[in-house]
Amino acid sequence: MPRSVLPVFLALLAPALPAATPDFVRDVRPILSRHCFECHGPEKQKSGYRLDVKEIALRGGDSGSAAIVPGRAAESPLLALVAHPDPYERMPPEGAALTPAEVATLRAWVEAGATWPESASARVEDPLAWWSLQPLRVTAPPAGAAHPIDAFVRASLAARGIAPAPEADARTLHRRLAFDLTGLPPAPEELEAFEADRAPGAYERLVDRLLASPRYGERWARHWLDVAHYGDTHGYDKDKLRTHAWPYRDYVIRAFNADKPYARFLSEQIAGDVLYPDTADGVEALGFIAAGPWDFIGHAEVPESKIDGKLARHLDRDDMVANAIGTFASATVHCAQCHQHKFDPISQEDYYSLQAVFAALDRTEREYYRDPALHARFQRLRRERAETAAALQAIEGPLQAQAGEPYVELTRRLAAPLNQDPAQPGRESPSYGYHSALSSTPDAVKWVQVDLGQSVEIDRVWLLPCHDSFNDIGAGFGFPVRFKVEVSDDPEFRAGVKLAWIRYDATFMADYPNPGLTAFSTGGSKDDGIAGRYVRVTVTRLAPRRDDYMFALAELRVLDRAGRNVALGRPVTALDAVESGERWRPANLTDGVAPTGLAAEEKAALERERETLLLATADAATRARREELRERAARIEAGLKQLPKPDLVYAGGIHTGTGTFRGTGPEGGRPRAITILARGQVTQPGRPVGPGTLSALDFAPARFALPDGAPEGERRAALARWLVDPRNPLTWRSIVNRVWQYHFGRGLVETPNDFGRNGARPTHPELLDWLAARFRDEGGSFKALHRLIVTSATYRQSAAVNPEAEKIDAGNTLLWRQNRRRLEAEAVRDAVLAASGRLDLTMGGPGWRDFVIERPEHSPHFRYDLADPDDPQTWRRSVYRFIVRSQTQPWMTALDCADPSMRVDRRNESLTPLQALALLNNGFVVAQARHFAARVTAERTGLAAQVARAHALALGREPSAAEQAKLLAFAQAEGLPALCRLLFNLNEFTFVD
Amino acid sequence: MSSDSPFHRSAAASRLTRRDFLWHSGGGLGGLALAAMLGRDGALAAEPASAARALHHPAKAKRVVQFFMAGAASHLDLFDFKPELIKRDGQPSDFGEPVEAFQNGLGPWLRPLWDFKPYGQCGKLLSDVVAPLGAVADDLAFIHNMVGKSGVHSAATLLQSTGFQLPGFPGAGCWASYGLGSLNDNLPTFVVLPDHRGFASNGVKNWDAAFLPSEHSGTMIFPGTATPIADLFPHGSADYVRPAGEAAAHRLMADLNRDHAAARAGDQRLEARIRSYELAARMQLAAPEALAMQQEPEHVLRLYGLDRGPQTWPKEINAEEEAFYFGQKCLAARRLLERGVRFVQVWSGNDNSFPRRNWDSHEDVKRDHGPLALGMARGAAAFIQDLKQRGLLEDTLILWTTEFGRMPSTQGGKGRDHNPYVFTNWLCGGGIKGGVTHGESDAFGYKPLDRRNPTEVYDVHATMLHLLGLDHTRLTFRHNGIDRRLTDVHGHVIKALLA
Repeated sequence: MPRSVLPVFLALLAPALPAATPDFVRDVRPILSRHCFECHGPEKQKSGYRLDVKEIALRGGDSGSAAIVPGRAAESPLLALVAHPDPYERMPPEGAALTPAEVATLRAWVEAGATWPESASARVEDPLAWWSLQPLRVTAPPAGAAHPIDAFVRASLAARGIAPAPEADARTLHRRLAFDLTGLPPAPEELEAFEADRAPGAYERLVDRLLASPRYGERWARHWLDVAHYGDTHGYDKDKLRTHAWPYRDYVIRAFNADKPYARFLSEQIAGDVLYPDTADGVEALGFIAAGPWDFIGHAEVPESKIDGKLARHLDRDDMVANAIGTFASATVHCAQCHQHKFDPISQEDYYSLQAVFAALDRTEREYYRDPALHARFQRLRRERAETAAALQAIEGPLQAQAGEPYVELTRRLAAPLNQDPAQPGRESPSYGYHSALSSTPDAVKWVQVDLGQSVEIDRVWLLPCHDSFNDIGAGFGFPVRFKVEVSDDPEFRAGVKLAWIRYDATFMADYPNPGLTAFSTGGSKDDGIAGRYVRVTVTRLAPRRDDYMFALAELRVLDRAGRNVALGRPVTALDAVESGERWRPANLTDGVAPTGLAAEEKAALERERETLLLATADAATRARREELRERAARIEAGLKQLPKPDLVYAGGIHTGTGTFRGTGPEGGRPRAITILARGQVTQPGRPVGPGTLSALDFAPARFALPDGAPEGERRAALARWLVDPRNPLTWRSIVNRVWQYHFGRGLVETPNDFGRNGARPTHPELLDWLAARFRDEGGSFKALHRLIVTSATYRQSAAVNPEAEKIDAGNTLLWRQNRRRLEAEAVRDAVLAASGRLDLTMGGPGWRDFVIERPEHSPHFRYDLADPDDPQTWRRSVYRFIVRSQTQPWMTALDCADPSMRVDRRNESLTPLQALALLNNGFVVAQARHFAARVTAERTGLAAQVARAHALALGREPSAAEQAKLLAFAQAEGLPALCRLLFNLNEFTFVD
Repeated sequence: MSSDSPFHRSAAASRLTRRDFLWHSGGGLGGLALAAMLGRDGALAAEPASAARALHHPAKAKRVVQFFMAGAASHLDLFDFKPELIKRDGQPSDFGEPVEAFQNGLGPWLRPLWDFKPYGQCGKLLSDVVAPLGAVADDLAFIHNMVGKSGVHSAATLLQSTGFQLPGFPGAGCWASYGLGSLNDNLPTFVVLPDHRGFASNGVKNWDAAFLPSEHSGTMIFPGTATPIADLFPHGSADYVRPAGEAAAHRLMADLNRDHAAARAGDQRLEARIRSYELAARMQLAAPEALAMQQEPEHVLRLYGLDRGPQTWPKEINAEEEAFYFGQKCLAARRLLERGVRFVQVWSGNDNSFPRRNWDSHEDVKRDHGPLALGMARGAAAFIQDLKQRGLLEDTLILWTTEFGRMPSTQGGKGRDHNPYVFTNWLCGGGIKGGVTHGESDAFGYKPLDRRNPTEVYDVHATMLHLLGLDHTRLTFRHNGIDRRLTDVHGHVIKALLA
């Protein structure tokens, strides 16, 4: 019923009212104020509900249902809550309950129509009236300066009567520019050449040269990876390695170096596979979605059906949503997970509709080819495979329907899970079998044995293969390639060893072909009198896994003469073993659980039967068409098989797994159903929501109009289109603000990830909008934006403090000078290497590691302290470092390196004693100081010249006479390496004017 | 909104006083340096310089020690006696409702694996395996109705260590450091003593500063090892560094840095960095002294079970070894607290690896919990007694916690599965009423007795901050659009535990 007619309708039905109707201001508001305002008033609005604002008081809070129904006290939840008989349910939860008289007053007031004068309602600010949600407002730069940036900045300086600082000197500018654009110091020779270059356009040429350097992409990719929270391990418990995360890092570097237009850069990272399907970039870019941490145990050991599993997946999507919207739109949408955003116009529905955009995805390894031609072929074949499968389904669907229940039953039997749990038929068993430790070569000798408890006369021994989808191996996973079975009464197998010799030649003298799930038997041997207490399988050639070798068996059965399995439940020992919870452990070898897949012949027979059933009602033309399609499918499969082994990137994608981490692949990539979760609790699902985005922007519909059953990628493509829409003010402001921050140390908006009410307001709103529009309209070129910014006088100002200006604007928010910048951890490290002459500029590929991994098979221990501090692989640029989440690199962390578990929009800048100790004493600095000394010794003769050279290399200038004297004296006493170590520790090394 | 709070920080703060600046992340100076500088400025009286400004109300405790049992310690076998399980030992378990076990631990009921006996005036029943704690039973306050949110180790560990289930939030010690600053000027404010075998789930994410200024990060110390603090002294390969030369290097650096700063007036970071090198030099003297445990008199070493020194240990997990290493951490903790460290986190157990070296006893509670619990109890009891005799217990808060509890039913006959539905914490010391129990579990130790009134980590953290003189709702830091708190949007001070 429309609300507007309600009062009339109610008035007709209203019961007789007390003579004196309570007055809101006199009688009702004091009650609300006394009991409710503390949590639902001007200060706090728990559950988004407040009783000081008429509209919200009536309409209700986050629950979305009315709290007060005028005229109907019995239907008004507010009254039910304050008068609830159960003290746990009653409001308020703390403090005194409402007296019966107060409840009666409230009830009477509601019954009388809940009359509430507008003048007695608090006003709420229009949530949409916020600067960042308004369209870009482009104004012409004010007059007074040739450069548009200077025009805006000087106008606001002039308004406060502040004069800008003069231009910095050439060396200072050069050092500033070099670190800003490439993250490396200029060489002394380059500094001299630039200083000497008096020709017009020298500065612009320097800018162009630096922007053209591949070092530029490395520098700016690192900024991007901070925001995307990129890492090379999963984090959380176990913190397993992500060995294929790096192609995303390389993609980002390449994108910056190629000056990829921002709209494309952004779209690729959300939906590259859909929008640019035939490019490797389109796949690698999706590393963005998967960049953050991943709860391995919450996915791999807990199924989605359990609460903990649901929670893990919910939190995983939360990270994807927060990453995408925080990075590209600078909105804190993740705050609307439990309730309406407290400060910004972001509803829970907005948030969950963004979860729906990513609902089909997991973090997984995606196949692709870095070679563009191969990748295009790969994509074409995959498309054809999907088309053929769809065409086949179109034919077979109706036939299947006609074949009815028997067909379904046959299909069910063919698809029954392989590792059935005998205790719970139909459910997958968590226990897989015994798994040896990993070996880097196939020819290591390993064994596993069972103790039968007493000497037994043995008929035959069965070896049952495993099934594990790891590396797509599946049936026969880890089945040994060469092996023998022996029996003895000696647990050490030193004496009285009897060989189960039947089939020995096939398994020990030659490679035994992988049997799939077909069990292996030694064959009957009871007539040979083989008896013993211990049965041992010795493997001399291991099975390949991915980059290593091992062997695994699901079950070892030892049959005695009566045909009983005497190994069942008996203790197992082995040379070595992988222990990973229930899945792999020695005891699994005799637990009676093994994959019970159909034998090949059985399977073939069932398939034939099903085929006959299917085709029973098909006419000749249908059969022919189907046959043609099947042949085509086979050709496509063959074509795919001919391709070389694909490359992998760890990215957002459809995961197809078995066991608890199945992903949506088995369901054809259909997105998971997403509902609003009351208070963010996975145990309290509410209304289902479809894909969509923020409703606070009205340039396009916030809910994506996609047909039912549209491929999941369309959801992401829709989000990408919404983000890059020229009318989206958040996107364009967000990115120019980030770039500005990295040039000035502070953004025009000081909170780059938050343009909401909890964030900062722009210091120069007109400049921000002008830059955003210009960037958008001129093709989204980062290099053009850098060029524009760094050629401004504002950027080129000296960093020196002008006391007059400081009195007016101590924080330099108006930019009357440049900000002196402390180098980030990566820049410090790279600058050390540049000075020492050891910097290795090799680009790309797997990250270099400055740690030793202990116990990789279970929970890797990343031991930085055990690594060689002078390992040449660590001489590469810091952006190529292998980034561990659970054990962050201590030295880099001391220097405020970005934490890969957090979306870092701005680095912390601390100055702690631990940082001083790291720079003084860490093995890296100690070793590089030695290299640095060796370099200057080779380049100059005589200690004085060497000291001067070291100073110039480290700090970009010759020492003054006084400095030279002090440094030389120190070098004479303590040696050149000690001097070089000292130079790395000076303030001047770490700060850039 | 708490924008008037002195702790309401954000990266957006623009106008800062000098003191704000020193305190604040953007200005960036360690809490320890801050205390020293404020003291030097005469801005505040000597001792807890920053604290005087910080407190929301008078504090009962100045320092905190948190014992963290990685892998999830069994409440049923240590502290929470359930006679019902003895009665029903071996009978098929029946929870009266469907239960989601983490693995498959819904076997028959399993009795406590050790006997319980009463201790102290309060008569608290403790398991034989933690019998040493009986000596301080009247000082302990138990919470038997703790509930978690997840049975997954990583999320559960983060929840207890940081108050959030996702990585990226500051540890409780970071918040204490941020809120109170340092009590000394030559040691870190927040020290972490990890298990000597390695880290628990999430590694440093349990104690790093996340979005708080990094000086509030937990500093790892490995007592009794060759390098207890990373980079405290030049790397072993630094054969060209002479001790005498170090002093000269520090003098020359200060000299050159001062000239550099003088030409760049108005940038306090430059001066702060000079000071950080002075503090580093002081830490080089203070830290080894703080960790020189052999200086302790014989009777103290004996109290902690350290009188025999390091030995060689059997390959199998054993109580003597556990007691030695845990005792060593406890003694190091005491020495650090005495020297003004604000918050010490002591870990027992490392990652969920094999063979078990943590409390995650899926397979065999007796095998793992036996040595771990006895070792922990010896060290913790010695620590509490030692603090008491030194008068430190009255203003040192001790919190014993873990990830979650374990199931009253068996897993595989000898083990117990995860139980996030109920577990135990205990507190002791500064401002805590000893000898009491707040909140009970049900007859089986499966869920809280009163399911509608459980205790959560937020309440424990709120209580901890309360005792430190801080209001948990006002200790905030703005990050990515939210005024973050240790207690998120939850938490009530547990008044029943306050002395």
